[in-house]
Amino acid sequence: MDVNKTDQRALLKELKKILPVDGVITDQAGLKPYETDGLTAIKEMPWVVALPENEQQVVRIVKACARHSVPIIPRGAGTGLSGGARPHREGVVLGLSRMTEILDVDCVGRMARVQPGVRNAAISEAAGVHGLYYAPDPSSQIACSIGGNVAENAGGVHCLKYGLTVNNVLGVRLVTSTGEILKLGGALYDNPGPDLLALVCGSEGMLGIVTEVTVALLPHPQAKTVLMAAFKDIVDAGDAVANIIAEGIIPAGMEMMDQQAATAAEQFAKAGYPLDAAAILIIELDGSEAELRDQAGRVGRLLNSHRAYQVVRADDAATQARIWRGRKSAFPAVGRLAPDYLCMDGTIPRHKLAEILMQIHRISEEEGLSVANVFHAADGNLHPLILFDANIPGQTDRAMAMGARILECCILAGGTITGEHGVGVEKLDTMCVQFSSEELRQFHRLKEAMDPEGLLNPGKGIPTLTRCGELGGMHVHSGRLPFPELERF
Amino acid sequence: MCILEDYPFQNWSASDVADLSDALTQQVQDARGSGVQLQIAGSGSRIGWLPRAQGAFQTIDLCGHTGILSYRPDELTLTARAGTRLVEIEAALADRGQMLAFEPPIFDPAGTLGGMVAAGLSGPSRPWLGAVRDSMLGIEMINGAGEYLRFGGQVMKNVAGYDVSRLQTGAWGTLGLLTAITLRVHPIWPKQTTLVFNMQAQAALAACAKIAGQAIPLTGTCWHEDKLYLRLGGSEGAVRGARTALVNELSSAAPFGDQFWGDLRDHRLLFFDQPQSDWSSTLWRVVTPPGAPLPTFLRGDDILPLLIEWGGGLRWLYHDDEAAVKAYAQSVGGWCWALGHPLPTEAIQRRYMDRLRQAFDPEQVFCSPLDFTHGN
Repeated sequence: MDVNKTDQRALLKELKKILPVDGVITDQAGLKPYETDGLTAIKEMPWVVALPENEQQVVRIVKACARHSVPIIPRGAGTGLSGGARPHREGVVLGLSRMTEILDVDCVGRMARVQPGVRNAAISEAAGVHGLYYAPDPSSQIACSIGGNVAENAGGVHCLKYGLTVNNVLGVRLVTSTGEILKLGGALYDNPGPDLLALVCGSEGMLGIVTEVTVALLPHPQAKTVLMAAFKDIVDAGDAVANIIAEGIIPAGMEMMDQQAATAAEQFAKAGYPLDAAAILIIELDGSEAELRDQAGRVGRLLNSHRAYQVVRADDAATQARIWRGRKSAFPAVGRLAPDYLCMDGTIPRHKLAEILMQIHRISEEEGLSVANVFHAADGNLHPLILFDANIPGQTDRAMAMGARILECCILAGGTITGEHGVGVEKLDTMCVQFSSEELRQFHRLKEAMDPEGLLNPGKGIPTLTRCGELGGMHVHSGRLPFPELERF
Repeated sequence: MCILEDYPFQNWSASDVADLSDALTQQVQDARGSGVQLQIAGSGSRIGWLPRAQGAFQTIDLCGHTGILSYRPDELTLTARAGTRLVEIEAALADRGQMLAFEPPIFDPAGTLGGMVAAGLSGPSRPWLGAVRDSMLGIEMINGAGEYLRFGGQVMKNVAGYDVSRLQTGAWGTLGLLTAITLRVHPIWPKQTTLVFNMQAQAALAACAKIAGQAIPLTGTCWHEDKLYLRLGGSEGAVRGARTALVNELSSAAPFGDQFWGDLRDHRLLFFDQPQSDWSSTLWRVVTPPGAPLPTFLRGDDILPLLIEWGGGLRWLYHDDEAAVKAYAQSVGGWCWALGHPLPTEAIQRRYMDRLRQAFDPEQVFCSPLDFTHGN
């Protein structure tokens, strides 16, 4: 997208009229923090950053950008992991970080209405006085904002039981690419017509700009218990996960780490994980005291029957926190093993876990880079962390290529290339593998319906067919490969 | 008999299994440019909720496109062709101790999975266990260009591409023809119990408000004829504990048969079937914030023409004065729909919905009773 310089100059003047002096950033030092998001490997300096304080300003900025055909890159807290907020060098980064008001907490409806810049954790803090909380808890929850959560359909460790962002958002106000305000849902359990609210969740700021979010709140569970189980064989751990769920138990969280990840986490956080385990499983159960007694007993028996050689049950908050500390510090812990790591985000059907881990192991040996695996076992979301050193020529490319191979394995297993981090710019190429050209064209037509001029976050989320063609993309769907009789490595 | 490579327990059989994907695709492709519009039809069990589609059209019948394609209880997922009957899906799930969390209404045993998604109606458990859209994981579909497309998948977490699967919920066939649907399923709670309290509507709303923020395993509420029905579902201990707490809080309660909830879900209660003689014949479905006040205009000689579900969030009422009902819904921030009449959407919403329809069906091959041009 080429932007006319005259248009840029005129737009800048208008932006300065719409926003207070400190709301328009144009100097290099001020722009620097916006050059990247959580995917720090990819950087681009924006042309201008605009920081509106209310919806009216957002509308005016969008209309001005539309008039001058200047692209808009919406941005929340900038913690996204797929480059969804990567700036456009001729575009405006529209940062929603100043819209941080919690507008309403409704105890009867168990809902909160908030502005997009409100931090995820701040919602639970505000609702806490009423005994309520907001369930989705991405690992960045102390920093990430609800607007960004909607854009990426953020997940977390409690998704199987409590759902993703899309399952916990009841309404949004969306400023469209032409500056209209589209109200979708509200403090209501049901809305007429096709579910545009769901469409907006996970759309990476490409269909509109969210200026207000109504979220569902939940009462805090009466009690919780945490179990840590160690296995000598990762296949046993995978089977235990499947059988707990098949038994009718939906844990609040169920996390797995392989030996590499668990060892690093233990050395970092002293969580009490045995160092000789091939896999560590952490299971959190919540509910009433009576419910927990029953469920913890059943889960304990299932773990033993799947050859867990050590099971620790923690009913007290301190021990629970210690067990979780290891898992929650797994990423920084793994980060100490190598100068750089690349975090992947594939999702697979749970019963394919052992198979996928073996494939990852093989790819790792072939590419000569180590992998540590952290896994939201409850919902099949796998985070392989590929270890590399960006200072060694070629290693970054090798890590990226390896990540792409792992994601292709996830698709072949009937899964997907991204469970909760989004496509952004990072996974554009693997989108060519997951979707056919007809499906990609349908995505583009859908985008055009909402944003005919293509001004909102251009170049993200959905690859162009040309890009896929240049890659010679191999389309794999639902485990059906072209020429399945051929071996692939 | 349906042979399923994924299904590890071969102890059930699907009655009707037929793959019409190719024929359906052909039918759509043939309709392109022929000037013939196609209305997607399931069993027709929900079609009376909207006015008949305008113009001449042919029917493209999905009822013959049937079969459960994959069911893995340990993955909590089920995939079936769109014409599969809901009763068959429920039976297959119940056989493995599972269910559809959102309790879709089944107005007729012939009701299909595709119709369930197209209408997007959720049952009594909606506020606690989610709506139809919350259980949607993936679809296979044919768009207006006659292209066979797949979106989403069989996994819980999936943010690759736009969420076309959930978008289809409530689309009434405006966004293409769904051929197969993957749903997330839920374990049946081990213990269920229903409590009934005698109280008037106002008191019932207050009681629902009082317990809304408590961590109790509530799975349904209904107020009707001066009785508040509460359903609890969960582990034996959780249900017992909550039952004691509720009886202490709301005074006397009587146990009640669980059949009530099926009758409520499928509209077999007399309220829906045989309204009182002094009631209006127009049934309104009013969605409100749960804590919204009651309308002041309702009158009934013996019984108030009102039934409240979803902890206060869904109110069914009989009333003749359209303007009064609309004003009430608007004043509380909700919306209302007279069954058999057009679905109410704001003009701006309709415009974007219509644009999305064009994105999926640029040549208007499909014709739906959901009309976005209405009222524009």
